[in-house]
Amino acid sequence: MTMEAAAAHTPSSDQIVEIRPDRGWFDLDLGAVWRYRELLIVLTMRDIQVLYKQAALGAAWAIIQPLFAVAIFTIVFGIFARMPSEGVPYPLYAFAAYLPWFYFSEAIRRAGLGLVSDAELVRKVYFPRLIMPLANVISPLIDFCIAFAVLVVLMAFFGFAPSWRMVFIPPLMIVALLLALSVGLWLGPINVRFRDIKHTLPFMIQLWMYASPIVYPLTLVPEAWRWLYSLNPMVGVIEGFRWAVFGLGELNVGALAISAAAIIVLLAAGLVFFRRMERTFADVI
Amino acid sequence: MDSNLAISARGVGKRYRRLLRSERHDSLRDLVAAGAANVFRSSAERTAAAERNTFWALKDASFDIEKGENVGIIGLNGAGKSTLLKLLSRITTPTTGGIQVRGRLGALLEVGTGFHHELTGRENVFLYGSILGMSRKEVAAKFDAIIEFAEIADFIDTPVKRYSSGMYVRLAFAVAAHLDPDILLLDEVLAVGDYAFQRKCMNFARQLERKGATILFVSHNMFSIKSMCQRVIYLKKGEVVYDGPTAEGLRRYEQDSKLADTPWFHPADGGARVRFTDVELLTADGRPSTVFAFGDTMLIRLRYRAEGRIENPDIRIGIDRDDETSCTTYSSAADGVPLSCLEGEGVIELRTPPIKLVSDLYVVNAIVRDAKGQMLCAQIGGRFHVNHPVFAANAYGVYHEPGAWTVNAGSVERREIGYGVG
Repeated sequence: MTMEAAAAHTPSSDQIVEIRPDRGWFDLDLGAVWRYRELLIVLTMRDIQVLYKQAALGAAWAIIQPLFAVAIFTIVFGIFARMPSEGVPYPLYAFAAYLPWFYFSEAIRRAGLGLVSDAELVRKVYFPRLIMPLANVISPLIDFCIAFAVLVVLMAFFGFAPSWRMVFIPPLMIVALLLALSVGLWLGPINVRFRDIKHTLPFMIQLWMYASPIVYPLTLVPEAWRWLYSLNPMVGVIEGFRWAVFGLGELNVGALAISAAAIIVLLAAGLVFFRRMERTFADVI
Repeated sequence: MDSNLAISARGVGKRYRRLLRSERHDSLRDLVAAGAANVFRSSAERTAAAERNTFWALKDASFDIEKGENVGIIGLNGAGKSTLLKLLSRITTPTTGGIQVRGRLGALLEVGTGFHHELTGRENVFLYGSILGMSRKEVAAKFDAIIEFAEIADFIDTPVKRYSSGMYVRLAFAVAAHLDPDILLLDEVLAVGDYAFQRKCMNFARQLERKGATILFVSHNMFSIKSMCQRVIYLKKGEVVYDGPTAEGLRRYEQDSKLADTPWFHPADGGARVRFTDVELLTADGRPSTVFAFGDTMLIRLRYRAEGRIENPDIRIGIDRDDETSCTTYSSAADGVPLSCLEGEGVIELRTPPIKLVSDLYVVNAIVRDAKGQMLCAQIGGRFHVNHPVFAANAYGVYHEPGAWTVNAGSVERREIGYGVG
């Protein structure tokens, strides 16, 4: 029998739930997540509703944050450092690349800290814990969508027509989401045990950002090191955005293949790791 | 699993690591340091350390609960009651054994877990409903009934952080009450809140009972256990020591809980130098009793055994209400009774003034402090009921004292009432 008869997520009142100690390394029980999809929706909605509550500017922050970051990049890298931008106005060039990063960094931040900030819930209520990082990586998609609208406005302002290639943005975002989930599945459980993650995360995100072609073009990286640089799985996504928005270069299939490989490895291992760790969440959180 | 069973547990155990302060690895650095130190210990040492550092919160528990049964789970603090509920509600997984649960299980371990302060009452109803296991459709269908039950219709679009604690609890409970589970796990935390709310909780439980729900009820309140459950499971140090009819289970529990160490007392070094070995509650004329009327005098007789001599002790005998509200304390030092020492074995008797407490269940605690004020022992045990002719439970305060009344400005009647209403 399945384990998920608890409550209305499966309405049958005659289903038997088995509660057993060890479910083995590879019993991922992803079906449970599916049965609790309503909770996933509700928790995602909560994350979105809560984020800008009691902020005078509300959801405007989803616009201000990336605009502000790109304004700084433009001043420091575009104007002072005269960073090349492949013929595109620097602010637009940086903004298009910063968009997926803005999503990704927010997603891994929420997934990394989510379990602990909802410790009460984890300690007092049962639900498949995977729901938590899933909701954490889905909810920042809203901020992404708002910021994306800003990109469209910026493009109009700088006289760039949208390209047909922009239909590739949703698949690129799926890659970014899966990457964020892969990373979140590791960070979340570790943070339950060691709160060090909370302090490490800001540095990690910043370091990772400068190791990605956001404020500078990929071509600036010396040819000899490019293979190593491309091991960063976000390179494929960010380059993909520039290609989709400006038609710069070719779609970097090699870099995207690395992203895919990273997702497969990190996600599969992350799922096993997460399932292994979740058994003791309530005891150690 | 038999089709008329709701819960079937076999050999369920849960082992926890006991982390000593020095062994806590709250940061990665600590863990690395401890790991390095561990390398230099022999494997035998390591096994011994592991054994020392774990304990079984629940051990080899087996029981069957039939559909529609109401079962009370009793035991002192730390006996494994909460662990059992956590296992049943799947918040944590057992170390050994297995449990089968048939049907929809609702756990009310803490009302309002999952409420988000920034969200409105309406938003929280949906959030909390989903967390408890209802579908959004189901919550939507029951929404009006929930609001009515909670009596907060006017505030439904206000963030719950602006709610009073009473409103907050009412709303949370209203959602939970509409879960309609086949099996309900009720923790004693439900006993917090005001009297009206408690009554609502109990009514809700009874209503479910009539619908044929199975209820597992954890409580320290033997009154509620007695009124709700035909059967109790008595846990002691993680083991099921009794499973059967309520009356006998309560009798054993009362006997065992006589003079247990209070959970908050930790003898500083080498254990308690003095212990109370027996407590007797007697009526004024010396008959043992567990029921006293308001206004009665009670004789509390304690036997002690002391190691060595304890000079100038202060003996304190307190009375706590069943919900752990401290009601009063008698102190030999405060009463100016010179006690030169406690030595060997002996008896201490306290004759209380007429009891002013309202109707409820109470428990006696006894504490000995030495001349420097250091606590030498703190034990709790000896339960008794007080019957007040008018004031029941905790709705009317802790104690009652007759006052002098003057009614109407023109009235000259001034009636003073002494002790001894009962």
